[in-house]
Amino acid sequence: MLDALSAERLKLTRHKATWFLVWLYPILFFILFSASVLFALTQAGAPARPVTAQAWLGQTAMIWKLPSQTIGRYLIAAYVAVVFAGEYGWNTWKLIVPHRSRVSLIAAKFAMIFLLFLVALALTAAISLLFTWLEGSVRGRPIPAGVTAAAILEAQGRAALSGLAPFLFTLASVSLAAVLIRSMIAALIIGIVLATIEQLFVKLGPFLFVYAPSLVWSLYHALPGYHLANLESWVTNGVALRTLFPDGRIVALDWTTSLAVAAAWTAALAAGTFGAFRRQDIN
Amino acid sequence: MSETRMPVVELVNLSKTYGRRGVRAVRDVSLSVAPGEVYGFLGPNGAGKSTTIRMMLGLIAPTGGEVRLFGQDLRADGSVLKRVGSLVDGGAFYPFLSGRRNLEVVAKTHGGDGARIDALLDQVGLARDSGRKVKGYSTGMRQRLGVAAALLHDPDIVILDEPVNGLDAAGIQEMRALIRGLAGDRGKTVFLSSHLLHEVQQVCDRVAIISKGEIVREAGIHELLRGEAGLRVEAVPLDVAEAALAARWSVERHDGVLLVRATRDDAPEVARRLIGAGAELFGLGLEQRNLEEVFLSITQPETDDA
Repeated sequence: MLDALSAERLKLTRHKATWFLVWLYPILFFILFSASVLFALTQAGAPARPVTAQAWLGQTAMIWKLPSQTIGRYLIAAYVAVVFAGEYGWNTWKLIVPHRSRVSLIAAKFAMIFLLFLVALALTAAISLLFTWLEGSVRGRPIPAGVTAAAILEAQGRAALSGLAPFLFTLASVSLAAVLIRSMIAALIIGIVLATIEQLFVKLGPFLFVYAPSLVWSLYHALPGYHLANLESWVTNGVALRTLFPDGRIVALDWTTSLAVAAAWTAALAAGTFGAFRRQDIN
Repeated sequence: MSETRMPVVELVNLSKTYGRRGVRAVRDVSLSVAPGEVYGFLGPNGAGKSTTIRMMLGLIAPTGGEVRLFGQDLRADGSVLKRVGSLVDGGAFYPFLSGRRNLEVVAKTHGGDGARIDALLDQVGLARDSGRKVKGYSTGMRQRLGVAAALLHDPDIVILDEPVNGLDAAGIQEMRALIRGLAGDRGKTVFLSSHLLHEVQQVCDRVAIISKGEIVREAGIHELLRGEAGLRVEAVPLDVAEAALAARWSVERHDGVLLVRATRDDAPEVARRLIGAGAELFGLGLEQRNLEEVFLSITQPETDDA
């Protein structure tokens, strides 16, 4: 399996789109934070506004929220679409399928996408941490009380955990679309549409409720949108995401229910990717 | 049966049907390839060659029949493909990677260390261009890289789909030598499809001819050509000669000459019949048909229909 991962890494780190879509984050953050530090240098001597420990920690861990954001979901969808549908576009499944089981080829793609994003986001978080400290030093602002190594680790860990479920869901859904449709553009469009509808439905559910109350209520509980947002709320704030419906009912589920629903959706979609690819004719 | 004697490839009633309308691309194809044999797979475009090869490589699932490699049913044990090297679709590669990197991807995917990459690049004449991205390669270069990829893990059988496509005359000659060398010096089994019948005639031990998804002929090259030999007769009057011979053999008139579907052993009888009928015999010789003529005689009626 390590060989298959190594082969995937070789491809993904040498293709322009997949290289850019994963190293975009550390590069962008490096540029933005560098600009921020340079700006701070021009302001040397000016009184620095105090920052709370919570804001300081939040700034250093914000990259992990990427998979929870709509734009982040689009970018991840683009990456997954290129990785999976690219093999059809380049006609290269024929090159590699006879050499290894189809299940392990798909598993290697899942694992390498996960690992590359983990490394890129961890690197981005490290850049955020370093430059936040550097900017504070330039401004003569001390590190807020309460920012300890343990607090930093906990903040980073919580933020990473909050992005995990939407990341895995996007990975599973777009990979299935790519395998079924065999087109990068089509898979990306489906990924974008899914992410948009799913996130809009969380917000618009109560408004749509008046048109079809029972249907909307059922969909709100069955579809992954609320559950992904609810998991993030539990991880970040320690409380359920509350959605008030026009008839006075409130959706505020415990985290285990949301975890079970989100995991079931993700597992079903990932199993769909494995199953579809195993039976697929590579013409 | 010991592995050395067992067929390396066996196709048993292999079939593939597409779509709800049940279009049959391949129908009950059965053949077997012996160890060390160079086996040619011939057929007009759309005959089912590529579909058959893809089923042999596990790229397409058969709707009927079996692919057996080294005695193992491919559906039951896909790992047997580890012993197979293949070139399909003229060398499909990652265009953004160099030739060398592409071979590294294949080696790693296979689970090997790629130790043979340099030697193979040298063998197929791509050592100097191995660092260039494949998107800048010519068709012939991709084809040669495809052969290198097929041989990377030193497979026991090499399956090549149109291996000389895009190669120039020198490249074709090198490929011919490479294929013969694989089977001769290194004991590999080679299964190749090609539309260049002259090449097939020169390198293959046996051939199967497929048309409209069905095997219409399978034989050793020599057997096939010997069976298709004829006698060339020059005699006057031609009508008398044709009537005398047509009673016994199939006869075609061509540019004032009769082509008689008979063997060398029939020559004395042909001469006796002509003289007996009062014709004057000016020439009687063996007309050896080449593989292309044999191929066309077998597939032409069907391609004409298409």
